[in-house]
Amino acid sequence: MEWFLDPFALGFQQRALAGGILAGVMTAVVGTWLVLRGMSFFGDAFVHGIVPGVAAAVVFDINPLIGAAAAALVMVLAIELVNRQTVLSEDTSIGLLFVGMLALGVVIISRLDSYSGSLTTILFGDALGVTAQDLITQAILALIVISAATLLYRPLLALSFNQEKAQLWGLKPQRAHAALLVLIAAAVIGSYQSVGTLLVFGLLVGPPATAALISRTVPRMMLTAALIAVFSVWAGLTLSFHFNTAGSATMAIVPVVLFFIVLTITKLRSKRREMVESRG
Amino acid sequence: MADVVTAEGVVITRGSRVAISASDFSIPAGKITAIIGPNGSGKSTILHAIAGLLSISSGNLSVFNNTPLLSQSQISYVLQYTTVPAGTPLTVMEAVAMARYPGLGLFGRPSKEDKNRVLSAMARLEISHLAKRHLTELSGGQRQRVYVAQGIAQDHAMLLLDEPLTGLDINSAKAIDSIIHDEPVRGCSVVLTTHDLEEARAADHVILTAGRVVGCGKPADVLTTENLTNAYGLGSLHEHETTDLILPTEHHLDDHPH
Repeated sequence: MEWFLDPFALGFQQRALAGGILAGVMTAVVGTWLVLRGMSFFGDAFVHGIVPGVAAAVVFDINPLIGAAAAALVMVLAIELVNRQTVLSEDTSIGLLFVGMLALGVVIISRLDSYSGSLTTILFGDALGVTAQDLITQAILALIVISAATLLYRPLLALSFNQEKAQLWGLKPQRAHAALLVLIAAAVIGSYQSVGTLLVFGLLVGPPATAALISRTVPRMMLTAALIAVFSVWAGLTLSFHFNTAGSATMAIVPVVLFFIVLTITKLRSKRREMVESRG
Repeated sequence: MADVVTAEGVVITRGSRVAISASDFSIPAGKITAIIGPNGSGKSTILHAIAGLLSISSGNLSVFNNTPLLSQSQISYVLQYTTVPAGTPLTVMEAVAMARYPGLGLFGRPSKEDKNRVLSAMARLEISHLAKRHLTELSGGQRQRVYVAQGIAQDHAMLLLDEPLTGLDINSAKAIDSIIHDEPVRGCSVVLTTHDLEEARAADHVILTAGRVVGCGKPADVLTTENLTNAYGLGSLHEHETTDLILPTEHHLDDHPH
């Protein structure tokens, strides 16, 4: 029993768990739509896109959330600009902004004396440095993200089904898409402190992808993804405590490992079912 | 009976390409109208414009005596391609029930009437037994039946079907064909695109396209040797050859709106 309780005996460890759970739940809910819409690459680029904003906030000593939000806005507008002004495919514009923003972030942060430490904190987070104030901000963002994702269920489902049908049903797919981008931004901004910009993507995609393998409906996929995310955070922190590994990185690995375990089990089960049916 | 769609001098462009040049056509109420023409002749483009998904560049297009956008609530459109991403956990019942979203808005709870409409649409397409199956577990024909069920579960006065029978198995084609013929009996206008000359001849009204509307009216008046030769660019045909005229029926991507 001690093996399970020791990692969360102290206040900062409990805050790490709470911060991770809040991050996991909101990224799982938003990540479900991200996975269903096939926007994983966008999600990956997006989480790196906030790096220059956070870096600038560190350099100029302003609230990192404001920097991250500004960078997210620049990222989305720039992708949209490239899409509208060129005939290049969307993944090219996303890739361009992905590397551009990440590089800009590293350039900005390289001006600091504590260059490598600050960069590591931005990219990989500081789960054990989460404060009570951070938790309050995260909780507010999580409440907004989960409520909005629930309220927008129909427009987002219709958008995932078919954009033209969503338009014909009067569900304003472009607005729903814009709202989804805002939700992704809010979830990433509200989570990067716990797990880092690089690893928040693991929680954004890992739990929903795993849930998609075993869920029959979208609400169940969301719920399953949230449970997987909570488990991943808890398991990641517990393992990192006992094996002395980086907390946020261990948290991000768990859902990916879970994905392959669930994939193997589902494949074996369907093979077994096929064999039984062929015998019958 | 009055026309539900009237077009005068309508020009429709897709990007920089003129898909339909200045054309006049009409669609009568409560009838089956077939739009036929070669690949890339603008069949889907006309359906898109009627549905309000594409704006016309010039001319006048009236749908239910209004603009297409303002008439959208009266139109149900079964698209040629509805590709739901693999892995989307969506059952047949849910997919058909989505057709009731326009009346429910963001928060409305489905009424008994909504549920009955969904069940009835599935029954008419003979897919009730598939209600709990995932879309990705269905065959192409079964999936097309789901999309048509979704089309008729939606409130509508006009049903648009983009190549509804192309490449289907016999059971699916039969189920969808019965819908095409039932809908006018229920007072609904049906507009479908097709590559099949026999299907067009069986309709009440025909629009022949070839980058413009070559002819519009009763099948016997429109599907003449001269019009078909013009539309398909087959050169001059001897009279005796026309009885066996075989038109392309295969499905090509270049007729798709994207």
